[in-house]
Amino acid sequence: MTAPKSLVRPLAERVAALPALAPPTMENPPLPPRVIAAAEDALARGETHYTDRPGIPEFRAWVAARLLDRWGVTVDPSEVTITCGSTEARYVAMTLLAAPGSAVLCPGDSARIEGALQLLGARVVDSIQDDVTLLYITPAVYRETLLELLKQAEETDWWIVWDLSFAALDDFHPAQNEALAKRVVTINSLSGRMAGWRLGWMAGSEAALRLRAGKQAITICTTAVSQWAGLELARSGDA
Amino acid sequence: MIDNPNIPQAVRAVAADGTQLRYALMEMAREMEDIITLGRGDPDLPTPPHIIEAANRAMRDGLTGATHVKGMPSLRQAIAEHMRAVNGLALEADNVMVTTGGQEGLFLAVQAVINPGDEILVPDPRYSSYDDAIKRAGGRMVMVPTERDDAFNLEAEAVEAAITPATKALLIVTPSNPTAGIVTEDRLRAIAEVAIRHNLIVIVDEIYGKIVYPPWRHFSIGALPGMAERVITLDAFSKAYAMTGWRCGYVAAPADVIDAMARIKQVTTGPVATVSQWAGLAALTGPQDCVGEYLDIYIQRRAVLLAGLDRMGFAYGEPRGGLFVWADSSSTGIHAAELSYLLLKEGRVLIFPGTAFGEQWRDYVRITMLEPIETLSAAVERMLPVLERYRI
Repeated sequence: MTAPKSLVRPLAERVAALPALAPPTMENPPLPPRVIAAAEDALARGETHYTDRPGIPEFRAWVAARLLDRWGVTVDPSEVTITCGSTEARYVAMTLLAAPGSAVLCPGDSARIEGALQLLGARVVDSIQDDVTLLYITPAVYRETLLELLKQAEETDWWIVWDLSFAALDDFHPAQNEALAKRVVTINSLSGRMAGWRLGWMAGSEAALRLRAGKQAITICTTAVSQWAGLELARSGDA
Repeated sequence: MIDNPNIPQAVRAVAADGTQLRYALMEMAREMEDIITLGRGDPDLPTPPHIIEAANRAMRDGLTGATHVKGMPSLRQAIAEHMRAVNGLALEADNVMVTTGGQEGLFLAVQAVINPGDEILVPDPRYSSYDDAIKRAGGRMVMVPTERDDAFNLEAEAVEAAITPATKALLIVTPSNPTAGIVTEDRLRAIAEVAIRHNLIVIVDEIYGKIVYPPWRHFSIGALPGMAERVITLDAFSKAYAMTGWRCGYVAAPADVIDAMARIKQVTTGPVATVSQWAGLAALTGPQDCVGEYLDIYIQRRAVLLAGLDRMGFAYGEPRGGLFVWADSSSTGIHAAELSYLLLKEGRVLIFPGTAFGEQWRDYVRITMLEPIETLSAAVERMLPVLERYRI
């Protein structure tokens, strides 16, 4: 028998629109020895099983504390889900908060969400349209534009995904507006330091439990040893 | 539908969703003390030391940067060689990718081949965590019955009877979760003929393939003539090597399917954690004694659990593989969801109701053997008086 090249039937139509495969681009500097030590300790004490579906409680508590300390945003740790990098967080949030056929408003670089939306059958737009259901924004968006869109969001029922991954941070967060907070999902990752460990998170909003279930349906939980290593990095202030 | 007011609203609210029902029970159990958990399919045994050491070595050496989304070349090559040798599949590294556990493998496979409106045949009862993947793809599940008297083996005639012009794929899980049945080689040969005759894709989940109880043996349908171009085989390190928390699995398929799955994975979860891939490489290329040792442990546990079920008056199809017993609880006269709740609340034993694996399985429960023998025995002793108290 020879190794098969092609399936006997056509692939799903959704595949054709997806981006071509890219080589890995994230090289990380060496991690502090204490992070590796924390990972080894975790393995030594048997942290090799499924974690809680949304992630280890310690890491979720750190995320909640980080949101409060850095931006004054209150999120309960039960509303935090640890994900396989920010990629999984974006995919889950996009596909559960936007509807097939709807529009996702993205005023900046949309490269990170286009694939997920193609799988969903939704589309990216860069200006307000009637069928927008979700606003995807990052701190890189020009502030005046951002505030204008958030004002618009107050008058609609848009979900808001605030993606902090790969962004320069400042003191602004859309969930500081209490009228918006219940519809704001914050996404971030440790990929700047730990790309190969696949560690990200999504936090907050009335949809938090639904998002948690969405993540579980794909990967059950995030790699246990990555979570323990990431926790050590996060607690040390290097994240 | 569960309308018994004695069952907490948190359980009743999610009763129609098998996955959520299981998680609701697990969350209840987590808040209770002194619970014996025979619910989740998470081996209690440790990841073998040589695998841990390989992961530690990779971390110390800084070999933890992100890999290609298909996985490390060395691991993909090792998987191809392993599946050629063990499963008889015709594979090169291009036919393999690494996934974030077996569940993601199924998700990616379904997204890669199922269009909205396509039908996918699924043996009943089913592992309901797969429902979401099929629903996301817009596919429609069509159930194929399996029977206790047949040890929940899958019949080619039943498969063929369920085929319609919209059928695109057949899902096989062997050994089965939840039934612990296997699809035997003779049945797989007959099913392969049906698949070829009707031009079906076969997605086969073999995650429990290394946990098969003698004299039964695992057989891969992808090894049969004419099947390589239509079979997508899913596997993972999670069960056989006790590595659930590492989230590392793999898929073997025609190269164009692997490319499609990788393009989907690139925009949904990204590559598998690199440290887990090093651990997986050690699992496949290191000593395999652990697999046999763990199987021996499960064989002993199975005997204890089955003896306990006999005492409880529960019938079952012969568990031929995997980590569960799928037991008929109809002798109690109690709906399986209510029974599971009572056993948790009053017996402090967590098991899953059959309704978590298909709504009509109200007379079945799934019990894992993922605790030491003494604990399994204690669980039986805890359950017996509860059954006596409530048996109708």
